[in-house]
Amino acid sequence: MRIIVCLKPVPDPKHWNKLKLDPQTRTLVRTGIPGTINPLDRNALEEALRVREALGGEVIVLSMAPPDAQPVLKEALARGADRAVLLSDRVFAGSDTLATAYVLSEAIRTLGDFDLVLCGDETIDGGTAQVSAQLAEFLGVPNLMHVSSVDARPDAPWLVRSQIEHGCMVVEVKPPMVLSVVKAINEPRYVTLMNILQAEGKELAIWSAQDVNLSEPWVGLAGSPTQMADLLTPERKGRAEMLPGSPANQARALADRLHRLGFC
Amino acid sequence: MDFKFSDREELLRKTARDYAEKELPPRMEAMEETGEFPVELLPSMGAMGILGVITAPQYGGIGMGQLARIIVLEELGRVCPAIPMALQVHHMCTYAIGTWGNDEQKAKYLPRLAKGETMGVVAVTEPSGGSDVAGLQTTAKLEGDNYILNGRKCFITNSHTGDIWVVIARTGEGGKGLSAFIVEKDYPGAKTGRKENKVGLRGANTGELAFTNCEVPKENLLGQEGMGMSIAIRDIVECGRPGMTAVALGILNAVCEQAVKFANERSLYGKSISKLQAIQWYLAEIYSDLEISRLLAYRVGWMLDEKIDCAAESALAKQYACEAAARSARKAIEIHGSYGIMKEYPVQRLLRDALVTIPAGGTAEISKLVLARQALAVFGQG
Amino acid sequence: MIDHVDSKVWVFVEQRHGHVAEVGLELVGKALELAGLLEWKVAAVLVGHQLGEITERVLSYGVDEVLVADDPLLAEYCNEPYVKAIEGAVRLWQPEALLLGATAMGTDLAPRLAARLRTGLSAHCIDLKITPDGQLLSAVPGWGGSVLAQISCPRTKPQCATVMPGVFAMPEPGDNRGRVIPIEVHLQPEDVTYRVVEVKREEAPKSGLQTAEIVVAGGWGVGTKADWGLVEDLAAALNAAVGATRPPVDEGWAHEKQMIGQSGITVRPKLYIGVGISGHMHHLVGIKKPELMVAINSDPNAAIFDHCDIGIVGDLKEVVPGLTRAIREHSEAVSKKTER
Repeated sequence: MRIIVCLKPVPDPKHWNKLKLDPQTRTLVRTGIPGTINPLDRNALEEALRVREALGGEVIVLSMAPPDAQPVLKEALARGADRAVLLSDRVFAGSDTLATAYVLSEAIRTLGDFDLVLCGDETIDGGTAQVSAQLAEFLGVPNLMHVSSVDARPDAPWLVRSQIEHGCMVVEVKPPMVLSVVKAINEPRYVTLMNILQAEGKELAIWSAQDVNLSEPWVGLAGSPTQMADLLTPERKGRAEMLPGSPANQARALADRLHRLGFC
Repeated sequence: MDFKFSDREELLRKTARDYAEKELPPRMEAMEETGEFPVELLPSMGAMGILGVITAPQYGGIGMGQLARIIVLEELGRVCPAIPMALQVHHMCTYAIGTWGNDEQKAKYLPRLAKGETMGVVAVTEPSGGSDVAGLQTTAKLEGDNYILNGRKCFITNSHTGDIWVVIARTGEGGKGLSAFIVEKDYPGAKTGRKENKVGLRGANTGELAFTNCEVPKENLLGQEGMGMSIAIRDIVECGRPGMTAVALGILNAVCEQAVKFANERSLYGKSISKLQAIQWYLAEIYSDLEISRLLAYRVGWMLDEKIDCAAESALAKQYACEAAARSARKAIEIHGSYGIMKEYPVQRLLRDALVTIPAGGTAEISKLVLARQALAVFGQG
Repeated sequence: MIDHVDSKVWVFVEQRHGHVAEVGLELVGKALELAGLLEWKVAAVLVGHQLGEITERVLSYGVDEVLVADDPLLAEYCNEPYVKAIEGAVRLWQPEALLLGATAMGTDLAPRLAARLRTGLSAHCIDLKITPDGQLLSAVPGWGGSVLAQISCPRTKPQCATVMPGVFAMPEPGDNRGRVIPIEVHLQPEDVTYRVVEVKREEAPKSGLQTAEIVVAGGWGVGTKADWGLVEDLAAALNAAVGATRPPVDEGWAHEKQMIGQSGITVRPKLYIGVGISGHMHHLVGIKKPELMVAINSDPNAAIFDHCDIGIVGDLKEVVPGLTRAIREHSEAVSKKTER
């Protein structure tokens, strides 16, 4: 069983209040904000470990990110992945979801046969929730999103539960496949200190564009069909009327206002 | 010189923080009320490797060093300082057995301690005092295959939660007449006494141990007869004081966070009090104390891992960080005004916790003696 | 004989087991508005099996064409046959734009379809515009929620977008004026790459959020699960529904169904009170035109104060219980008056 977990390093959401928009370049300044594994990708990795525990095999984590993402991949190794591949090349910069999915799919082909690719359902930064399905499309295998449980059976089609509005559907599907998971699927285990030590002996390969076969043009900003036409600051009402005074006075003033307006 | 943490150390910090933030907050109220250590956490702390962080891998530990231990304890202490207080003494027990124990002793006790089957205890202090190690009165007499222990130990951390005790007792006269023993709680004549009711670090259990003709098998002598004094002092210097420093670092982190949070949230005269210079001075002092304490603590961790003698540095770090924790907590309370002395706000607890760290592992005065000796030695001979 | 299809803007109108997702009709309304600017026609795309009644219903919303892919293999949703059915029609009739609802089905179908067509897709849009030269501009709450990105798809067609349910108003049905055009599908059983064994419906907890007149929502700033009770108490005093941003849901203080915003639900209350909510766009886009918007936050620089009408900076643990008490006093006074 070969399981690949696509994992995105994102700025730690605990530090998002420090994110600043550079008005000149219209990019986000993230200096000093540590990277971390995208939260749902942690669930994807945990599920990969559980499938490996059930059926044996290896878990490979795969990221397309700048070279400074290495500590994040080391964390993934400490969490239990067997090895990691970091796809890092300037030509990948600016890739939209289609280009990202294409490059990841070629990296997966380079790794060889696989049974399962796991992703988080969405990332907390971009949040497009598109890469897993597009990756499956490029790989030509079935995919399911919003996955909340996986029953990996050795000699039968797997049973996968996928959340839909007001419920879920349970499907039978045969590997290889791509699944993207929701938070409810599992509770990721803690990294142990022993895991941290063991991870230091694991392989973290860094691949450039030369290491994968990119025959199609869908790479980087130039190969991305979507473009950011503009960045708008959301409509603002302007500064609110601020209620002054002690907490008791503020509370009283607001309650009186709500009362006058008929809300209580 | 390299002041950058390695990827391993950063990951270690993150790991400890994840664990602390998830597991500790739900238990803190009960710890504060009952004064009990949450023993139900021992299996998971064992599995995480927190309990065996400085224990060798062949005895079920992780085999990391003191710097790693300081980082882990600091992160636990940032959320709940009582936890690293208890753990640091547990580590002292593993350090004593791991350093001076023979293979049989290590194989018998260290895996249990690393796994979290029970906690470890180090018992030096007696009702007559703790710092005067040479004046200890608990006796141990060899009779046949057993040492017979008589005496009392007090202010012992983990007294009621730990089953494996490293006890210093007198086998002869003077400073050379002290020996260390591994005593199991179930040995005939061993008993736990009263539980103390501390003002701070309440979730770390503290109490008395009593020995009445307690029979300790002679193979439980740690090291040789007469090594008790050196074991006790080295355990304190190489493990206890760095551990207490880490507890203080945890408190300082929490103090800093609480002070900044309140200063940002509280507004006076229509603006946040964090804009007031009087408040900023407090914040600057608290932050400086945190940063200075960190530098001192990590240096000690590094020196210990490099096997460089650091008795003076260890005393300095411990004394500075614990005092800094107390005075910073005091300042954080000032920033909070009347809220600072309300139980709903953590700063009052942090001050109580900080006060308890000061005498633990050697009073400030003892640390100053060590530092004075160092100053006289380094600068005394022109 | 292959029909000719004129429509340039297509809307995938999702149905599952005969139940039409409202967002599909909301999008029909918006598509008619956008296409009208360029005098383009609009088609609804229906995929499934035995869709007669639904076809009629969709026609009543004013579309020019309804493209119907009807096949037994499409009876139960599976992305591969759905992609194949739509892909064939797109290649044949080459629409300029294709819109889908950001539902469980839409968010699964759209990316796979867009990748098959090697075209661009913008996700979870909260607004759509069209330029005179036919470029679709999608507003997507961006990075960290502090900005709105305008996404375009200048080089490939169709320009695809998924749109959050509830952001566009539900149109009124009128007279049928469109025509029905079948999509020819050539499916084999092996195209159904997974077999649906079971569809379970869960009774959704009745948060009543979507229809609530008053919504009290809490965010990360509430602090702990215990303090989440303060939000619920305030909501109880106001007879309001309780909403949440993502962190309280992730922390387990609130239920997933209570999440308001880009990846949650859209609310249209008269009064909204945000407690400990910093004001990222991801959340704010889920609040449609409240008459009064109030924010309570300990951080005076919280972005939400730029979006609300009344703001209180203060410690939630004091302000919120105080507010709850004061509101209860008013309500009690009112009910006493009514008793007399």
